[in-house]
Amino acid sequence: MVLELQKPRPVWQIMFSTHHTDVAYLYTVTSLAFLFMGGVLALMIRTHLAMPGAGFLISDPATFNRIFTVHGTTMLFLFALPFAAGIGNYLVPIMVRYKDMAYPKLNAVAFWMVPVSGALIWLGFSDTTWVAYAPYSILRAPGPAADMWIFGLKIAGISSILSSINFVVTILKCKHPDLPLRKVPLFAWSMLTVSVMTLVAMPTFAASLIMMLTDRLAVSGFFNPSMGGDPIAYLHLFWFTFHPEVYIFLLPAIGMMYEIIPRFSRKPLFSQGSGVFAFVMLGMIGFASWGHHMYSTGMDFTTKTVFMIGTLAAVPASGMHVFNFLATMWGGRIRFDAPMKFMVGGIALFFSAGAGGVLNTAMPLDFITHGTYWVVGHMHLFLTGTIAFGFVGMMYYIFPLFTGRMYSEKWASVQFILMMWGTVQVFFTQHILGLEGMARRIYDYPTEFTSWTQLNQIASVGAWILGASFVIFLGQLIYYSAKGKEANMDDPFNLGGKYYYPYQAKTPHHTGY
Amino acid sequence: MSRTEHEAPPIRTSPNRVVKMLAIIIGIQVVGGALFFTHYDFWNSYIPIAGVKQEKEMANETTTNTGPPNIQGIFSGKEIDVPLKFVESSDFTKYGFNAPFGQSGANPEIHAAVGDKIVFSVANGGKSFHAFAITTSTSGPGPAVPDTTIGTADSPMKPGQSGTVTFIPAGDGTYYYICAVPGHRELGMEGKIEVGAGQAGTGGTAAATGNKVEFSLSFEMSPDFAHYGFNAPIGQTNANPDIKVKSGDTVTIHLKNNSKSFHAFGVVIDPENPAAVLWSSAFKTPDSPMKPGESGDVTFVAGTPGVYHYICTVPGHAALGMNGNLIVS
Repeated sequence: MVLELQKPRPVWQIMFSTHHTDVAYLYTVTSLAFLFMGGVLALMIRTHLAMPGAGFLISDPATFNRIFTVHGTTMLFLFALPFAAGIGNYLVPIMVRYKDMAYPKLNAVAFWMVPVSGALIWLGFSDTTWVAYAPYSILRAPGPAADMWIFGLKIAGISSILSSINFVVTILKCKHPDLPLRKVPLFAWSMLTVSVMTLVAMPTFAASLIMMLTDRLAVSGFFNPSMGGDPIAYLHLFWFTFHPEVYIFLLPAIGMMYEIIPRFSRKPLFSQGSGVFAFVMLGMIGFASWGHHMYSTGMDFTTKTVFMIGTLAAVPASGMHVFNFLATMWGGRIRFDAPMKFMVGGIALFFSAGAGGVLNTAMPLDFITHGTYWVVGHMHLFLTGTIAFGFVGMMYYIFPLFTGRMYSEKWASVQFILMMWGTVQVFFTQHILGLEGMARRIYDYPTEFTSWTQLNQIASVGAWILGASFVIFLGQLIYYSAKGKEANMDDPFNLGGKYYYPYQAKTPHHTGY
Repeated sequence: MSRTEHEAPPIRTSPNRVVKMLAIIIGIQVVGGALFFTHYDFWNSYIPIAGVKQEKEMANETTTNTGPPNIQGIFSGKEIDVPLKFVESSDFTKYGFNAPFGQSGANPEIHAAVGDKIVFSVANGGKSFHAFAITTSTSGPGPAVPDTTIGTADSPMKPGQSGTVTFIPAGDGTYYYICAVPGHRELGMEGKIEVGAGQAGTGGTAAATGNKVEFSLSFEMSPDFAHYGFNAPIGQTNANPDIKVKSGDTVTIHLKNNSKSFHAFGVVIDPENPAAVLWSSAFKTPDSPMKPGESGDVTFVAGTPGVYHYICTVPGHAALGMNGNLIVS
């Protein structure tokens, strides 16, 4: 096993290992590779939109559709989900004091489905948009790209169901008998919550993917109006999975904040109990709000009100997390190393994204913002501002454990400033762009709309700044894993105190890379 | 936690291993990229079976339509030029051609006969995106008559762009020229094209005037036998040339069978009824056709004015492309 190793292993031994740290490593590297690939597509989209009417960089609308489809699918299913699973794989067994995940081989199978799904999605380059609404996706989306997209997501879904089963069993059945469930560290609690949510939510989407495939083959007509089906039914099935999925993306990032903020505040967590409560609350409330994605589909007033209240019910639980972070930092001897910077930035942006979400859920306003760049700005502010900030901070935190080396604190600060700046500039601007009336997913717009042009150019400059911050991140990951100074494996950040991974502190886990 | 003497030092990542890892990741991406770009047209090559089925159903609906045929006709009449301009009212509530709907000069009605060539010069003079189409459908954006569109709803004409469209009505009835962007037709961008009865030939005979004209035609087939035609398989530029003669001319046609199949020549009114050959213009018959390589001349006197078809009278060959226009004036 890895822990007794004294010398680097051959590459293939790491690639085909079933040990949780190896699988975690593979998950993380794969998801980061997809992050940078998806980021290139995002920069192409923004650069194209900076110059209306010029057809710059992307010369036809169909290619534009394909690019933003693959960008969205990649970031959600090939970056966010596998990255959380990777960090979970690394930390959860250690946190519950078990030697490995409950089913190591299942764990490796779940990982190896990710590259397969990525290959299908990237080779096909479908143009259905990441939501793949019927009837376009069943009647007109050209094959084989759209079929490959369906199978790619099918495989990604199965992968996340398998890894969820593994997490649930590891945390509930394999934790140390001396460790009561309520004392399990909050990052493990977040993985437990999202795993249970995945097990409840994902089968619905898996079923609707199969329905979509058979609809495309014209053997069924679930979503095909000319065969008596209903495209709105697809929206219900899709958002029943993907509103909870929002929390499935978000909660691991919150859990990472719970891991890092007390550590760098050098102070115990303010309240373990409220964190657990808020996770469980979000896990349940996540299922009560899918309808707010479809207010404009002609729901009746009572249904809309129910979904509006269900959405607002997520506010207190999210607020509990934020207050828990602030109370933990209050009076602490805070060290603003890179992981802590990103977590604090993440909290600030989480608050602004959440505030925008509350506005969105009010149905009168939603009718104005629906289908505009407001929605694009809101969802990206969540995904970049909170989730990516949490993940990048966690990557810096876990970097010494993976490589045995330290990253450059100076460059991490530069990355933090650029990333914060870029995120605010792109996604706040997109909110305003939405209020100006710019529809989402449009290929081009008239140059006469000068306010659109200006705002788009501001957003695009912000996107390049954000891109620059990720170039620095990539450089950090590559250069400092080869040439970084050797980390003190007992306490890489010189914080003192107890870690969750005492036995592992002796050697970096990921010997070899 | 200090380390004791006999504990081995931690193993750390080396440049060598980082390079190996990057080589694996970049290698996979290069192979994937090569696969993707070498098959670029393949990934988006067909629409789903459900979509094909739906298109067929839509096509069936248009054939049961009582309006005129939704196809381009054959040019046999006069040429009509129509300049059109997309415009919107300043508050964007009324749209129209040449003027917003409701004002004078908006959506001019066009009168034409079957076989006339109507040339639309269309310019987008508004501030919004538009797309030009001609359709027989009385509501909604389509389906358009083939080759009568400028832009589509997905890739419309931007403000200031322009283009021309040639439309030859194939039957009598009402066609509409519209903006194909959904919603714009309802806001007023719809004009009528009233097409009067056509000038198809009646098949009457005429006395010979003594004027003699000569033409050469050859029977051709594509190597896969899918496309037939005179002088070239249909679909190529010089296939099925229009033959223009005057009523009473003595027409001589030099025929040659350059194909690998049997053929026969004749002038008819309706290509779907190849047996009704006019004016003793038949050369050979389906029962005793021209063999490959055979050639010969046929001479006949052109009858009353109108548009006729010269075809291969072997059943099925006209539908595969051996069908040209004989225009008698």
